[in-house]
Amino acid sequence: MATVVEGGRDPSGAVTPRPQAPVSGPELANTPLVIRRREDEETVVTFPYLVWREFLAGLAAFVFLMLVSIQINAPLLQRANTSITPNPAKAPWYFVGLQELLERFPPIMAGVAFPSFVIIFMILTPYLDRNPSRRPQDRKVAIVLFTIYLCLAVAFVVIGEFFRGEAFNWDWTLILGHPGLSSPV
Amino acid sequence: MSATPDQANPVRAFVAQLWGSVFRHGLPTNDKVAARTALTNFFLHIHPVRVKKSAVRVSYTLCLGGLSFFLFILLTITGLFLMFYYIPSVDSAYQNVKDLQFVAVFGDIIRNMHRWAAHAMVITVWLHMARVFYQGAYKPPREFNWIIGTFLLLITLLLSFSGYLLPWDQLAIWAITVGTNMAKYAPIVGPYTRYLLLGGDQVAQGALIRFYVLHVIALPLIGFLLMVVHFWRVRKDGFTGGL
Ligand code: HEM
Repeated sequence: MATVVEGGRDPSGAVTPRPQAPVSGPELANTPLVIRRREDEETVVTFPYLVWREFLAGLAAFVFLMLVSIQINAPLLQRANTSITPNPAKAPWYFVGLQELLERFPPIMAGVAFPSFVIIFMILTPYLDRNPSRRPQDRKVAIVLFTIYLCLAVAFVVIGEFFRGEAFNWDWTLILGHPGLSSPV
Repeated sequence: MSATPDQANPVRAFVAQLWGSVFRHGLPTNDKVAARTALTNFFLHIHPVRVKKSAVRVSYTLCLGGLSFFLFILLTITGLFLMFYYIPSVDSAYQNVKDLQFVAVFGDIIRNMHRWAAHAMVITVWLHMARVFYQGAYKPPREFNWIIGTFLLLITLLLSFSGYLLPWDQLAIWAITVGTNMAKYAPIVGPYTRYLLLGGDQVAQGALIRFYVLHVIALPLIGFLLMVVHFWRVRKDGFTGGL
């Protein structure tokens, strides 16, 4: 089993050579956690090095969420009532972009064609992008296209969430407040 | 850990045996023991024994995949507590959630955490996808893991969406009404899909129980399975590593 320790695999599946002179005896105890295995590639033992970092990240996330949860209550409105329609009625924020699309395009486009297109395109991404390089300099087109997609997605959510008032009509007052009122409503 | 004091002291010997039986190895004071600990531990063997140093830099993954997983676990735990109170019936659901928020000890914290962690997870999964894209980490041999990831993103959204209905307040019912109305627009299958989702024409008891079952059983299970495969492949394909 110990052989696995020395001969790891790299992504291409090739077994990396064992270190030339394996350390043993008292030297081993003093070996730093970082060992140079190939000329260009340093590795570390995942345990405890990576596991420790994961623990810290998890702890930080937990503390953050705990603080937020102590400070801010989750929304709870009146009991559901089918005879009182809130105006505007909005989807959850991550689907509000879709709602915004529905406002602008015929339903068959916004509700069906666009989402299907996005999902299919996402699934096909690794097969459509034949460029083997991972360096940003070589991937300008891919990066630009993806950035446009992200910006559009975010923009539609922001518009739907913050710029759509009654009857989902465009409404500046959500963020600017009503003219004549001192504070935003 | 020399043998002599252990033999002399039965308590120490017992503790040593106990520790050894659980972890099989002493404290990870050097690389070899550390590696063996990772190899022989069920929970740790999700990791390779060694990783490229560039891959564990926080600046590389930004912790986003790991955070998504952490949030998923946190949601499972807090969700379990919520289930002790919550009854998926239109007669009681709203009152149960109200009790959680205002009566049950720590109920508000648990509910708030479940809610905010759910929103956070939608964000971290999106950002994780973006980082994978910008680093070209979906390129061979990881094409298929990207596809699994796409389904994980959809599952995450559906989990969040199905949970949205459960408090049975005005926010819940109308958001789900708007959301499921979108399904109507698909040609031919649209109205059927909506009917199937809601168990009726309106968001009512039929919809509540369906969303509940999807939310607490079906979607988490599918999501968990996909995550297991996702992690397995991350481990087998190796980390893409720094640029
Ligand atoms: C519930 C959602 C998800 C969870 C819990 C998750 C978890 C993880 C974790 C823990 C890693 C290891 C690296 C890291 O921490 O960033 C990873 C890697 C990866 N994920 Fe995800 N992921 C999720 C969704 C996605 C999505 C939506 C995509 C893309 C569409 C995706 C594609 C990938 C790929 C290609 C890798 C390998 C990256 C590399 O080798 O550098 N995952 N994921």
